[in-house]
Amino acid sequence: MKRSFILLLVFCAVFFSTVHIHAQVNENIWFDGLSRSYFVRDALDKSTMYDTISAKNSSNGYNLLDLNTHVNPIKNIEIFAQIRIKNSFGSFFGSGTEINVRQLKAKGTINDKVRFSIGDLFLKQSKFTLYNYDEELSGYENDMLKPYRDIIHYENFYTENRWRLHGIQTDFSFKFDRFIRSLSFDFFVTRPRGSSQINETTYSSDLLLSGGSMISEINKRLTLSSNYINLFEVASSGTQNISVRNPVHDISLLHHFSNDKHRIEQKLQTGFSQRYWLHTELENGIADSISNDTKGMYFELDNKYIKKDSTLSLTVGYRYIDPNFRSAGAQTRRLDYASGNSNTIYPIYTNMSLRRPTSMFDLLSDDGLYNQDLSSILMAFNPIYSNVLPYGEATPNRTGVYLKAKINNTNKVFLGKINAGLFKEVIGQGTAEKRQFRLLKGMFTINLHHRFNWKKEFSLSTSSESKVTSRGGDSISSLNLVSHQVNTSLNVELAKKFFIQTSYKQFYANGNEFLTQRDNYGNITNFTLAQVNQKDHMLSLGLLYSFRENVYANLQYNWWGMTFSDQEYLDYKYNRLILILSVEL
Amino acid sequence: MNIKKTLIIFLGLVCFLYSCTKNEYEGPSIEILYGDFEVIEPLKLTNKSPSFSSNEQVGFHCEFNKPVEWKIAIQGLSTNANREITGFSSLIDSSMIIWKGGPSQVPFFSEEACAIELTFENEIDTIKDTINIISAKTYENGVWLENFEDGLPNDGLVYYNTDGGGMTFSVANDDALLGSSYFKMGGKVNWDWPLGNLDLPVNITNINQSSENLYINIGILSDLEDLHTGQFINILISEETEIPFNDNLENNASDLFESTMEVYKIKVPVDWNGWQMKSFRYSDFEPVSPNNQNINFNMNPNDIRAIRISCQACPSSTGNPICPENFGKDVRTDIDHIIFTENYSLLEQ
Repeated sequence: MKRSFILLLVFCAVFFSTVHIHAQVNENIWFDGLSRSYFVRDALDKSTMYDTISAKNSSNGYNLLDLNTHVNPIKNIEIFAQIRIKNSFGSFFGSGTEINVRQLKAKGTINDKVRFSIGDLFLKQSKFTLYNYDEELSGYENDMLKPYRDIIHYENFYTENRWRLHGIQTDFSFKFDRFIRSLSFDFFVTRPRGSSQINETTYSSDLLLSGGSMISEINKRLTLSSNYINLFEVASSGTQNISVRNPVHDISLLHHFSNDKHRIEQKLQTGFSQRYWLHTELENGIADSISNDTKGMYFELDNKYIKKDSTLSLTVGYRYIDPNFRSAGAQTRRLDYASGNSNTIYPIYTNMSLRRPTSMFDLLSDDGLYNQDLSSILMAFNPIYSNVLPYGEATPNRTGVYLKAKINNTNKVFLGKINAGLFKEVIGQGTAEKRQFRLLKGMFTINLHHRFNWKKEFSLSTSSESKVTSRGGDSISSLNLVSHQVNTSLNVELAKKFFIQTSYKQFYANGNEFLTQRDNYGNITNFTLAQVNQKDHMLSLGLLYSFRENVYANLQYNWWGMTFSDQEYLDYKYNRLILILSVEL
Repeated sequence: MNIKKTLIIFLGLVCFLYSCTKNEYEGPSIEILYGDFEVIEPLKLTNKSPSFSSNEQVGFHCEFNKPVEWKIAIQGLSTNANREITGFSSLIDSSMIIWKGGPSQVPFFSEEACAIELTFENEIDTIKDTINIISAKTYENGVWLENFEDGLPNDGLVYYNTDGGGMTFSVANDDALLGSSYFKMGGKVNWDWPLGNLDLPVNITNINQSSENLYINIGILSDLEDLHTGQFINILISEETEIPFNDNLENNASDLFESTMEVYKIKVPVDWNGWQMKSFRYSDFEPVSPNNQNINFNMNPNDIRAIRISCQACPSSTGNPICPENFGKDVRTDIDHIIFTENYSLLEQ
């Protein structure tokens, strides 16, 4: 959906409703939004000896206000516009001030039955059709690093694992008094990418994403849902006669039963995908043809047990994803290692002006590294951070079992979480031998203030995440890669809502793995052997004053860096002072 | 649905899934990629006695067991001319990998024996062969050419700063790149940037190529002895179609290069020793007056009316000491063989 159209819609809605707004009550226009003041000072660590070229320290920051304007010109219509006003520190008289329209949307209900939205949409379907999976290293993270993570998610529009897209959406539902209980529908058409000029005479095509969902509550215990999604290019909107098509079909059956104390859910989900490139030969007068056609299916059986007093939740399941299963909406990654994005903080280091390898701290703090665009082919990933499930649960070429558990006692003194999985490839890559994957994540929090009935919070948290990849076979193709992440943090409330926090995060990776290179159609063309032996660390100490939920001031000092063994990179260490004042209006 | 039914469906699906797996593995074989390198088919040349002047060419064929970075080096045993062709593949295909007789850079090949060497990155294997050039390639296949063999063109205009010392804006015959004549451009103007320029009218109204596919090739000779570090050539191309080439007969320069006209420019720092053949895609030229709203900068090779080769150098005298280290040095940016080619640069042809 073109922005100009939305702007026109907003203008008309606001203009034609002006008289009404002035004449009626103020509830027709209301505001909310977010304000953030952000200041950082990055510095080379004093122990750094071999970098005399880079600045010893640098500082920057900004103030921003995202003002959300909601206009209700009539009862069932709402126009929403998010205006961003951002002023970088050190700018004067408006020279460094940006004013952007960040979001625009019109939504409403037709005849109190059919809902619709036009403009910026946040869409999600099943985990195999349209789902924005969390970025690596973000699971079981401690509270102290939440301000960093909040900024990445907010700046990249990552909300509840939804993809932000531009288009139109509608949904409606029916209720029945026999045969089935309810039937709900949801449809959308979006344009993830518009036609653009590649060179003087060549234009890329529009990329569209359309889909629909149907959910039916058959009876009290049984729910049937199905999803369809299709990512496709409109060849006529550009000058290229090749256009991608990627339809995915999904169906699931959810069965549950419960009593006063327990609830058990069983979910059976399956579907299939096709992806191909259509060669349109209309101008040459010959029939259309297709190339690089792949078809793949998936299957998952998920069983969940929940204790209704919230002290125990246990999930076990089995999943099979075909090597050729391709779903752009579910397999697009937040981090694209082939995009060439360089780190914002000290992108170049050492006196040899080397490009600094991305660290755990960069992934945590640099929102510019992240991606918001759907990709029709599998994106590159870094195996040290996400080798087991690089494309989330929709990762192709995986089969195995998984277990998730959450345990806590009734007075919430202890909280524990476990996430484990044993997977293997369905077929090998570059060899008939298959990779074996082992994943074990755990988190444990102890709330001492609950145990001793203290009024002020005193909690200690620790988490661990281990990933092991191995492949047997001959000495050339065998591999073994181990990565391990540890988090510990301490939260102490000194005065009411005033906390002192400290945390330590370490990531370690060692072993060898083959990086895959793919062509423009996603076919593997080469494997590059990578030897890894590195350690990331991040130590933080800070203060937090929480005015209320989502309104806080946070001051932190971070010591972070990377060390390498038997690799071509040089070690580095940096420090950062950061101040964030975040106010949700 | 009871548990029995669920289990039956589950087991049925598992059996179905295992029957789906068809291929043994994805991608190329790692064992081959990282195994020992082997030449499956030795190097073959399609023509060992090429006559490049008759548009003959040499094709190379070789096959290996895995993709590698390979390099074919061709060296003229008399002229020392050389040409390198590189690639990354497991197959050198003689229909794709061909040599048409041009060097990577001057000197040019002549009628001579040449050594061929095929090498591979990180491998010790080297395959050698020879060819004998029966007739050398000619370099006049272009849409417009000025080689100064007949002296300065009658309608060409030369302007230079007459207050300078040792100014050499004239045709010479002592050390040409191709043929026997070239145009000397140089001298000593220590106090200012411009030394002089050569303006030539161009008429290529019959070509159909876009600016992306039109190449401007020019041979440039720099200092042979004492390099002037701040010297460069500006190549200007005018698409002014209304004004005549030499409208004002009072001056010695063309009238098609005013700041109010559609003129494009590229700057070529001249910092090497000896002759070099430089090639530029026309679309890489930039407008001379990009901020002038009255000019429609829309490159169209059909509209090219003139070319200006302008010799400039960084001043060095005490009155304007931007490059004092060059004080007393002569600027030398001699040129030869200006040729416009389509689709390929002159040496790629």
